[in-house]
Amino acid sequence: MVRNSAGTSAAQVGCRALISMVLATSATAAVAAPVTDAMIANDQNTPNDVLTVGMGYSGQRFSSSTKINSDNIDDLVPAWSFSFGGEKQRGQETQALVNDGKIFVTGSYSRIWALDQKTGQKIWSYEHRLPEGIVPCCDVVNRGAALYDNLVIFGTLDAKLVALNADTGKVVWTETIDDFKGGYSYTAAPLIVKGKLITGVSGGEFGVVGRVEARDAKTGKMVWSRPTVEGHMGYLNGKENGISGKLNATWPGDLWKTGGAATWLGCTYGADTNELYCGTGNPSPWNAFTRPGDNLYSTSTVAINADTGKIEWSYQGTPNDHWDFDGVNEFITFDMKKDGKTVKAGAKADRNGFFYVLNRENGKLLGASPFVTKQTWASGVDLKTGRPIETNNRPGDPGKGEKGSSVFAAPSFLGGKNWMPMAYSGQTGLFYVPANEWGMDIWNEPITYKKGAAYLGAGFTIKPLYEDYIGALRAMDPATGKIVWEYKNPAPLWGGVMTTAGNLVFTGTPEGFLKAFDAKTGKELWKFQTGSGVVGQPTTWEMDGEQYVGVASGWGGAVPLWGGEVAKKVKDISQGGSFWVFKLHKSGKAAVAQK
Amino acid sequence: MTAMGSLRIAVFVLGQAGLASAALALERPAEPPADPLKSPAWGTIYGRYFKDQKVVFDDRVKVIAPANAENPLDVPVQVSADGLDGVEEMVVVADLNPIQKIVSYEPLRALPSLAFRFKVEQSTPIRAAARTHDGVWHLGGVWLSAAGGGCTTPSYASGDAVWQTRLNEVSGRLWPSADAKTQRLRLRLIHPMDTGLANGIPAFYIDRILLSDAKGEALARVHSYEPISENPVFSFDLKGSGPVRVSGGDIQGNKFSAEIKP
Repeated sequence: MVRNSAGTSAAQVGCRALISMVLATSATAAVAAPVTDAMIANDQNTPNDVLTVGMGYSGQRFSSSTKINSDNIDDLVPAWSFSFGGEKQRGQETQALVNDGKIFVTGSYSRIWALDQKTGQKIWSYEHRLPEGIVPCCDVVNRGAALYDNLVIFGTLDAKLVALNADTGKVVWTETIDDFKGGYSYTAAPLIVKGKLITGVSGGEFGVVGRVEARDAKTGKMVWSRPTVEGHMGYLNGKENGISGKLNATWPGDLWKTGGAATWLGCTYGADTNELYCGTGNPSPWNAFTRPGDNLYSTSTVAINADTGKIEWSYQGTPNDHWDFDGVNEFITFDMKKDGKTVKAGAKADRNGFFYVLNRENGKLLGASPFVTKQTWASGVDLKTGRPIETNNRPGDPGKGEKGSSVFAAPSFLGGKNWMPMAYSGQTGLFYVPANEWGMDIWNEPITYKKGAAYLGAGFTIKPLYEDYIGALRAMDPATGKIVWEYKNPAPLWGGVMTTAGNLVFTGTPEGFLKAFDAKTGKELWKFQTGSGVVGQPTTWEMDGEQYVGVASGWGGAVPLWGGEVAKKVKDISQGGSFWVFKLHKSGKAAVAQK
Repeated sequence: MTAMGSLRIAVFVLGQAGLASAALALERPAEPPADPLKSPAWGTIYGRYFKDQKVVFDDRVKVIAPANAENPLDVPVQVSADGLDGVEEMVVVADLNPIQKIVSYEPLRALPSLAFRFKVEQSTPIRAAARTHDGVWHLGGVWLSAAGGGCTTPSYASGDAVWQTRLNEVSGRLWPSADAKTQRLRLRLIHPMDTGLANGIPAFYIDRILLSDAKGEALARVHSYEPISENPVFSFDLKGSGPVRVSGGDIQGNKFSAEIKP
């Protein structure tokens, strides 16, 4: 029997034309509305969907929704929860994407699920088959996916990109970023810019070469590649496109060949400048005596032309980094009002403890103020030269010996702020920075490169600075560099921050809470215990006239693996793996009446 | 003469009645034809794969399998529909496997015959169904005894890292028939073929293989499913001679291609 797409038999179509037309319409609606460049560019202004990491190109993580606000947040209750299942309960650092009735959530061990937006029911799942011997430095996390056309695209721990059909979860294309046996992996959420899939690489502890790449999002075909280590060749459409920087200008000998500067958090994008702003990690190895010089473009923000893959400017926070002040942190673009003028700016809270404000059109430094209480390595930043004023806090040269002299340094190598993204509210004009207060003993050891092996040349142990707290959520005024309010948390903060026009700031804690704060005053207004540590990135969307908040729960990340004394403090946190969705409570009668 | 005449009329009337009952059958859910293998799952299998289609049991469709599965992870089976003209598709199912469909085969320019190895979970009928161009499914099958567990046991690959360096490796050999009109291809692929039913190991299997000739024209197409054995082995009887190109991929987008030379 011939059947049409709506499942009516052909014989019935004639006498039931109207019904079959209605059915055909709903059948069309069931196929995902393709995500376009225009939709992505406008993501921040469309409350019904979340199409990009960072909730928009700027990475501000700001929502204009006000249905949930500082007056009614007492009524925020769970709507549903989805368990990731399996025995693979590790850190869940993802940000959900929401489109066309589906929520896309990634999980530990390179897994992704499509969930029904209304019910939380699983529509499909994809579990990537990982080989033995993957080497993610800092837990088997994933930080989210990208949407384009009818594809949902994410990266895997064995350094592959996988594009799935958003409706079925079937693989449409897959590409290898690089050889996982050489230390490469991938954990960031990709970004879509003008039909191109923008990705970086992870593996800075293994002597990889950092780079940013742009692929055709529909096919996976490479468009351009831009290394973030001086001396390496870039490519555009398969042709050489000039080396990054100048060979041996800031790197000695052949150390640049395994120079690190991993772009492991990806980039934000300025539509007005057509520039990608990509943070770069530590130079390899950690032992800086092996690589005298500034070691460009490590520990920097690099502005790359989105069409050509050429570097337009860069700003380096920690020249010749010696503390693993991996400057990969997100560069959030915003318009700064200062002295009656509006400046096209961008801000970054660096691992090294400085909150930098740059002119995003030329990379000029506008401000650098500490967002942590203690910085032993530098007393400030020279606003003229842009360079830190160092305090002779580098660990000693091991020479040919076994171990150089140790120093105490703050922040620790896990940073004043690590990967977890801050948020910016244009309404309050404040940045909300998830900071941590810790220091470390660090010393150098001799090191030689071996493919696929850790390439550090340093020993270290982390120490909390204070008895009563490590984590501190801080509201920073970018114009003055002043801290406006702070919330102190016993365990280190490791989750993303979100802010809304409802005068709210959301973030999670390792103690298991999703918390909401008054955006102006920092007063804690609401919390919910999710059952495991929250290191995910909260997001929000509207559906059928109601606002929802979603966050992944599941303790893990770098702290339990690298945290020294701190790891001991967090060892009793339960593992987990689930996605929680919240909405405002309605009494049963009111909910029925509305239907 | 009169007797003959009335007999003709009777036949005609029966024919009418036959049409009427066929029309009635469309209104009601179709009853599956009686299963010569007396499988407890026949109703389910029929509903899932053959509902509203014409099904006949046909001795020309043969399934050759051992009476007892010596190794439930690797049961050799050959299916053929020799003597049936115009076979467009062959489907092989194991009624009592947790995943019933093993393989579907389009012998575009090949004989309607295929050999492979599969994983069996418990004693089960194995059926081959050959669809001819008139849309009729011709079914044959046998019972296979098995101690079981083949579908829920972790693959060897899941305990051994070697597979990842050899994933989707293709090897094969061609044997021309005596009259040189056909050639037999035996193909071996390296793949864990995980069913997703073993605890903590996601499904991961080759789901498509295309055979084509030196000019790139398709010879045969295989759609394979979870029950196909780890490191799959297939045998085909292809029309013509000369090198055969093999291409395909798995459900995670890993691809393979190779050329098998005579």
